[in-house]
Amino acid sequence: MGRDSIQRRLITTVVISQAILTAGLVITGVFVTYWRLLSSLDTGMQAHTMSVAALVRYTEDASGNVYFDNSLLPESIDPNHPDQFMVWADRTGFLTRSEDWPDGLQFEPGPNQHWNFTFAGVPYHALRIQHLPVLDREEGADFHPQTLTIVYASPTIHIRQQVKAAGVFIILASLLLLGATVWLAFWGIRRGLLPLQTLAQQAAQVSAQSWQLHPPREAEEIEELRPLTESMTQMLARLESSFVQQREFLGNAAHELKTPVAVLKSTLQSLLQRSRSSEEYRSGLQAALQDLDRLEQLLQWMLRLARAERWAQDARRRGLDLIDINSTCEEAVERIRSLAQSRNTDIQLSTDGPVPFRADPEDLQLVWTNLLENAVRYSPEGGSVEVAVTHDDQNARVVFQDRGLGIAAEDLPHIFDRFYRGDPSRTRTTGGFGLGLAIAKALVEAYGGSIAAESAPGKGTRMTVTLPAGSRFVTDQGQQDI
Amino acid sequence: MRVLMVEDEPRLAENVARSLRESAGYAVDIAADGQEGLFLAESNAYDVMLLDLMLPKMDGMELLRRIRQSGQHTPVLVITARDDKESVVALLNAGADDYLTKPFDLGEMLARTKALIRRGKGQPSPVVVIGDLELNTVNRTVQRGGRAITLTAMEYRVLEYLVHRPRAVVSKTELLEHLYDYNWEKFSNVIEVYISGLRRKLNEGSTRQLIRTLRGQGYMLQD
Repeated sequence: MGRDSIQRRLITTVVISQAILTAGLVITGVFVTYWRLLSSLDTGMQAHTMSVAALVRYTEDASGNVYFDNSLLPESIDPNHPDQFMVWADRTGFLTRSEDWPDGLQFEPGPNQHWNFTFAGVPYHALRIQHLPVLDREEGADFHPQTLTIVYASPTIHIRQQVKAAGVFIILASLLLLGATVWLAFWGIRRGLLPLQTLAQQAAQVSAQSWQLHPPREAEEIEELRPLTESMTQMLARLESSFVQQREFLGNAAHELKTPVAVLKSTLQSLLQRSRSSEEYRSGLQAALQDLDRLEQLLQWMLRLARAERWAQDARRRGLDLIDINSTCEEAVERIRSLAQSRNTDIQLSTDGPVPFRADPEDLQLVWTNLLENAVRYSPEGGSVEVAVTHDDQNARVVFQDRGLGIAAEDLPHIFDRFYRGDPSRTRTTGGFGLGLAIAKALVEAYGGSIAAESAPGKGTRMTVTLPAGSRFVTDQGQQDI
Repeated sequence: MRVLMVEDEPRLAENVARSLRESAGYAVDIAADGQEGLFLAESNAYDVMLLDLMLPKMDGMELLRRIRQSGQHTPVLVITARDDKESVVALLNAGADDYLTKPFDLGEMLARTKALIRRGKGQPSPVVVIGDLELNTVNRTVQRGGRAITLTAMEYRVLEYLVHRPRAVVSKTELLEHLYDYNWEKFSNVIEVYISGLRRKLNEGSTRQLIRTLRGQGYMLQD
C-alpha cells in the first residue's frame, strides 16, 4: 500500500542482481558456445581442405599440369548439409568444385581468409587457403610445381541449433536458480527479521504500568539489532524514571493539598453547623480566607517547581543576557530583609568581584531567596547568615552559611526531595511546604550547576551552589553552548 | 464524653474541637504533637481519640502502638491523608478502630466519633434504652415513658455518660473527667447541681428513682 518494507527492498535487490547475473551468464554462455563450436568447425574444415588438396594430382607428363581426382572425396562435416569447396591451381586456374555447388555462388582466389556468409538462406562458415602445395610432387629439373587455392565452405545450421539449445538450457537453469534464490532470500529475510517482530511485540507490551522491555535473546545476539534494543532499553529507563517522578510529584502534590483543603473545609463546615452571630461569621470567614491563602501559597510553590523543572529542559536553548551573579544575590538579600529584620537576623554578603553569567536573573534570585529564607528561618533569633560569592576560571560558588539548628544526618540526603520535611513541626511553624530546596535544585541544575548541603546539627548549615560561570565560559556564544 | 484530638495543624484541630464541643457537647483536649498526645492519653481517661498520622516528634502510628501496648482500649479514629489499601490495613492492624481521610466532612467525623464511643462502651445502637428511659445520641433527645424531656446541654451530657455505663457506679471524678477537658477540677462542685436537675426532670410524673446516689461512691443509673 505504498509502504516501504525492508523485506521487499532486500528481495528486489536480490532479484535485480540475480537477473543481471543471469543475463550476463546467458550472453557469455551463448557467445562462448558459439565461438567454441565455430573454432572446432574451422579446425575440421582446415583438415578437410587438406584432404581436398591431397586429391589434386599432377598429370603423368612433365608439363606440371594438375587434375582433380574426385574418387576419394572427404565426407561432409554435417552429413545433412553438404560442404562446398572450390579449387584453383596457380597456373591451370579453376580446377574443380564440389558436385552440388550452388548455382550463382562465385568466389575468386585470393589471400587466406575466414568468414561467414549466407547463401540461398543457408548460413555458411568459409575459409580460403592460398599456396597449398600439390602433394603429389614430381621430381625433375624442368618440373614446374603448382600451388593451390582452396575455398572451403561448411553450412553452420547445426552450430546455430546447438547454440540455441545451449542458450535455452542456460536460460532455463538460470531461471530455476533465480526462483530458488528468491525463495531462499524470502525465507531467509523473513527468518532474519523475525527477532524484529518479537522485539516489536515486546515493545508493544511496554506501558505506564510495566516499563520492562524483555528483548528476545536473538535480538540481543544480532549485531544490527543490538544498538536498537540497547537504546530502547535506555530510553525506557529514562522515560520510566521521569514518569515515576511525575507520578510521585502528582501523588505528593495531591497529598499535600489534602491538609489545607481539610482545614478550609472544616472551617466552613463548623461555621455552618449552627446559626451564629454576624461577628462569628465574620471571624469564621476571615479564618477561611487565611486557610485559602495558605492553599494558594502551596499552589504557587507547586507551579514554581513545575516551571523550574520545565526550565531545565530548555534553559540551554534560550537566548540569555549576561548578568552579574552578585546583583542577583543583592536583590535576594533585599527581598529577605524584612523577614530577617523581624527575626533580628543579620545577613552579610561578600564577593570577590563581578561574576558574569548568562541567566534569567529571576531564576537566580528565586534560588538565592529560597536558600536565604531557609537559612534565616532556621537561624536562632539574633543570629547571622553569611552569603559569599567566589569564582575561579571554571566555576562560580555561592555559599550560604547559617549558625542555626543544622540538619539531622538522616535528613540531609533528602532535603532536596520535593515535599520533604525533616520535622513537620518546624515547617508548620515556619510556613514551608518542603518545595523551596527542590525548586532551587531544579533551577541550578537547569543552568548546568550543582547544589550541595553540609550540616552539623547544632552548629549550622552550609549550602553551596556551584555554577559553570568561570571566566573561560563567558564567550560571545555564552557558556550555555558548552 | 471527653475526646483527645492529636493534630499538629492548629486550624484543623480548632475546627474539629469546636464542632465536637458545639454539636456533641463533648469535652475536647488538643495535643499538637505525638509526645504531648501520648502524655495526655496516658494521664487522662478519654472516651475516644482522634489521631492525625503526620505528627511532629512522634508520628501517629507510633503513638497508636504505644497506647495499645500500654493496654488502653480507648477507641481511636485516625485522620490520614493517605487512603490507599496498604496504609489503611497497616492502620487497622496497629490498633486503629476507624479512619477518616482528609479532607473529611465534619458531620461524618461527628457520626464516626459518636459511633466509636458507643461501641467502646458496648452500646452499638444510637438509641439507648434503659427501662422506660430512651436516649437518642444522634438528635440528643431524651424520653421517659414516651414523654419528651427537655434537658440543658450539661444535664444531657451527664445523662449520656451515665446511660453508657448503666448499672455501674460512676464516681463524681469519673464524670468530671469525661465531661470536661483538662481543667475539670474547677468544676468539681457543679455535678450535684446537674444531677439534682436531672432527677427533677426525669421524675416528673414518675415515682421510681432512676439515678441512685451511693454515698461516698458516686451515682448509678438503674432500670
